[in-house]
Amino acid sequence: MTGQIELMVNFGIPLLLLIVAYFIGNAIEKRHYKQIRHREEKVHGFPVITFDTLPLDWQVGSAEMVTGNVVISLDYFKRIIAGLRGIIGGRVKTYEPLLDRARREALLRMIEDAKARGYNAVVNVRLETSRLANARKDGKGTAGVEMLAFGTAITLI
Amino acid sequence: MRFVPKKPPEGINVSEVHPLAEAGTLILGLSIIFTAIALALVFFVDVILIIVPKETEAKLFSSWTPDDLIPIVADDERVSETRALVKRLAHHWPDSPYTFRLEVSEAESPNAMAFPGGLIVVTTALLDRVETENELAFVLGHELGHFRNRDHLRQLGRGVVLGIFFTVLSNNEGSANLGISIADLTLRGFSREQESDADSFALEIVYAEYGHVDRSWSFFDRKIEDDYGSSDLVSYFSTHPSASDRIEDLKRYAETHGWPLTGPIECLTW
Repeated sequence: MTGQIELMVNFGIPLLLLIVAYFIGNAIEKRHYKQIRHREEKVHGFPVITFDTLPLDWQVGSAEMVTGNVVISLDYFKRIIAGLRGIIGGRVKTYEPLLDRARREALLRMIEDAKARGYNAVVNVRLETSRLANARKDGKGTAGVEMLAFGTAITLI
Repeated sequence: MRFVPKKPPEGINVSEVHPLAEAGTLILGLSIIFTAIALALVFFVDVILIIVPKETEAKLFSSWTPDDLIPIVADDERVSETRALVKRLAHHWPDSPYTFRLEVSEAESPNAMAFPGGLIVVTTALLDRVETENELAFVLGHELGHFRNRDHLRQLGRGVVLGIFFTVLSNNEGSANLGISIADLTLRGFSREQESDADSFALEIVYAEYGHVDRSWSFFDRKIEDDYGSSDLVSYFSTHPSASDRIEDLKRYAETHGWPLTGPIECLTW
């Protein structure tokens, strides 16, 4: 009897957790992507550029800083796979959609901020990433990823 | 300058690989690597054991007792009789470099353990549940078998191997679990083999002492009622072969050697 319990504790429960985390994480990711694409359609055409000096024929009426940031957390499945990668090395492919979503979400929020305040474009756009550390004693481990997008929103005369 | 917006293409920043496929490759690959490392370390332990002979071990540990042990001295009758039985059984292994000692410890579950230096510890629960002298002789002979194969030192080595795995991998969240589980499983396979060998030796000793092997494994027969019928998978994960497997193997071992399966039974004085 103890053999079966030990089998379950050592292998069954982590495996189950891994599978559940994968399916839930996958579903959340798909839903987020759908939402992102929908919002990108809506703001399509809003100029977002990274120039820090403007083209000479643009006349600026007013300017203000706008930001958009988002925090996305890892799920158990991603964490475990990334941990295994940590031994062998190579591209951590499970993290790529995470950062892609974070970047697009942060930019979208910045654009929506600018639009809401009535601006026409955002220039000098920059992106910053930071890793949120776990509450663990040594500070290792990742609780999530924060992405910040900021720039100067302008109205064009 | 005109601003010409274009629709962003999908999939540039994301790899084509399906996460489950990547997970599968990683887990499988690492399992193979960890198994290989565990096997290499086990081999290393075996090599060390060849270098440290039994005589050295007997001398080093001749008066050692484990600290968390509580020997019973009060129950005189059982201890002295069991000690006498150990001496009689040890006669059938004349080359042993050990002077065997026996202690009894208070515990809820029946158990017998072999410690370095020739120390055998049995629990009070074991002495309570044993019914004939032949059974007890088998259990003690099993421990003698462990001494002969130096299994107790191998198990110490196993603990060290697991410790190494844990220390090296503990930084890495995913691999710590996987590595330790794999190492543990590999080592349990060796453990089952050791138990089987110890069983065979015990049968030889019992036959040498009594001239037959009747009732030697009746202890396991009774334990079967507690087993919830172990499936193959559970057996794979245990340190001992299942009780029914052990009995099958013992019967076959006795039959190949032509040892009589019935004979007069010695009773215990308690």
